[in-house]
Amino acid sequence: VVEAVIERLLIANRGEIAIRIARACRELDIESVAVCSEADIDAPHTLAADRAIAVGPAPAAESYLSIPRIIDAALASGCDAIHPGYGFLSESDAFARACEHARLTFVGPPSRVIAKMGSKIEARRLMREAGVPIVPGEAPDDQSDAGILGVIERVGFPALVKPSEGGGGKGMHAVRDRGQAAEAIQASRREAIAAFGDGTLYVERLIECPRHVEVQIAADDRGGIVHLFERECSVQRRHQKIIEESPSPSISPTLREQIAAQAIRAAEAAAYRNIGTVEFLVDPSARDSRSSFYFLEMNTRLQVEHAVTEEVVGVDLVAAQLLLASGEPLPWVQSALSQRGHSIEARLYAEDPEQQFLPQAGRILLCREPRLPGVRIDAGVREGTLVPIHYDPLLAKVIATGENRNAALRRLRAALRSYPILGIKTNLEFLLRILDHPRFQQGTVDTGFLDTEHAVLTATAEQPVPAFVRAAVEAYKANSQSPSSALTGVGGVSDTPPTPHDPWQELRGWRN
Amino acid sequence: MAEPAVTRIEPGVYRVEHETRAEIVYVAGSTDNAWAFWNGHVFRGNAPAASSARRRPTVTDLAQSLTAPMPAVVRQVITQPGAIVRKGEALIVLEAMKMELPIRAPTDGTVVAVHCREGELVQPDAPLVDLQ
Repeated sequence: VVEAVIERLLIANRGEIAIRIARACRELDIESVAVCSEADIDAPHTLAADRAIAVGPAPAAESYLSIPRIIDAALASGCDAIHPGYGFLSESDAFARACEHARLTFVGPPSRVIAKMGSKIEARRLMREAGVPIVPGEAPDDQSDAGILGVIERVGFPALVKPSEGGGGKGMHAVRDRGQAAEAIQASRREAIAAFGDGTLYVERLIECPRHVEVQIAADDRGGIVHLFERECSVQRRHQKIIEESPSPSISPTLREQIAAQAIRAAEAAAYRNIGTVEFLVDPSARDSRSSFYFLEMNTRLQVEHAVTEEVVGVDLVAAQLLLASGEPLPWVQSALSQRGHSIEARLYAEDPEQQFLPQAGRILLCREPRLPGVRIDAGVREGTLVPIHYDPLLAKVIATGENRNAALRRLRAALRSYPILGIKTNLEFLLRILDHPRFQQGTVDTGFLDTEHAVLTATAEQPVPAFVRAAVEAYKANSQSPSSALTGVGGVSDTPPTPHDPWQELRGWRN
Repeated sequence: MAEPAVTRIEPGVYRVEHETRAEIVYVAGSTDNAWAFWNGHVFRGNAPAASSARRRPTVTDLAQSLTAPMPAVVRQVITQPGAIVRKGEALIVLEAMKMELPIRAPTDGTVVAVHCREGELVQPDAPLVDLQ
């Protein structure tokens, strides 16, 4: 048993990942401190840690993204370390530096590594020098609309305009012809400033029909580096991943070895510490295997989809992060790591696929998590939770694991079919349609899949409401209208007295 | 066909026997706006969940009101009263959950009124722009 140096950890995040980190803290006997905005006072993550500190108003810029407020909260609560989770400040080198200055252990790589890899320009330069293959592209010196357009024309159409800082698909826009350029450049710049506080843009060639394959790596501060194999994340909408799996169904064992070797080389070039992910674009049209994949970017943090790696490799990446940040050596040797079986994750979002995936906000009236063999739910919400408009609409991750891809797929489908979330629109039916799509089942999906199959996947179902659903709704209505039935209860079940969180009580006056 | 036999297992959870099978149906919401879930399908009221925010203007509408589809912050007001706009042109940019959502002109027309300003928090169905 290793004794962690960290004694009290501030979790600078919200939602499912904050809960995930709090759980790892309990396992390692580390005290945890949550932070919350005014919109999250009663949120599940606020209650998951040993204590919670309110750090500011609802807008993220004044709470979860405020470096001084987060650092103050950590110092005021006697924390010796901060875990940034993903998103928010996780890839801010300024935040990592502020932690270093405040003598707080930042659970992640050193600030200089985040700065290097966060700058697409610097990351590309490093990778080129290290001999890791990269996608053609350039950083415009002249950041005016005209300057960027000039670079787009040099790189060639179709091109991709994206923020030089940040990741997660935020602010990326495809430019297929000159006419689209101005709107794309301006939107990308605005989104870059809003999300990352820096409007510097980067332009690269858009590789058509690529697959997204990424490699999980881990490094200690004694020079040890291992990879934990790959994840396939080609099911994306506007560069936001929706379904991820490990192993990748689309690459050969030879390609897997080559990509993993390049990921290690990338981590070495970056002088990487802690866990991270090297993302690659795999070009299925390339014949020469040496040019069939390109370094895309390195994510210097925990990924949303880390769970599929945990399931197939049999490790705890968050616990590993905490140990590595404490100065412990890597808990694994490469030769002992292998992939066993198959794991697939689906992200449940509060969004409406019928309305261009508009994020949804509102109260969750009913929520029951499935409990099935091989199924893991990492959720940030529960029954009664108010999903606010201010943050990313991820509600939960459903991770299903089986002895092979078909078994994992079958379990994932069963889990989604028994995961009711009512009161707010979600993408659940959309996820099920993806799982049932022949191309997904064959494992031959590229990153354009959701665009090309959009109509099929979002078609409005006009099927009638089954009679047994109507019968249940009628029974529910009859039950709600006669309060006395709560005591007599059908089938020997009686209602518990209403609690402050009882969604039925809170429903009075609820506006749709 | 026999009447489905309904048993309430716990609040909001119903077991419905029909023909040879038993189904679990989850129900929540108010009696006039109920939500139901069965086997991965979500139903609203007595019909499958349908989009509510899309407003189809009738032929008799002289001015057409573009409304906010969700709670959001007005990031940018691109247009102004009197502006002549083409179909597909972005008039307003909303932002919610770190995503930008351009509100575009559904048809060619003239902007009659702008009902929002930059930085304002708008609620679903709040009128943003009137178009004629």
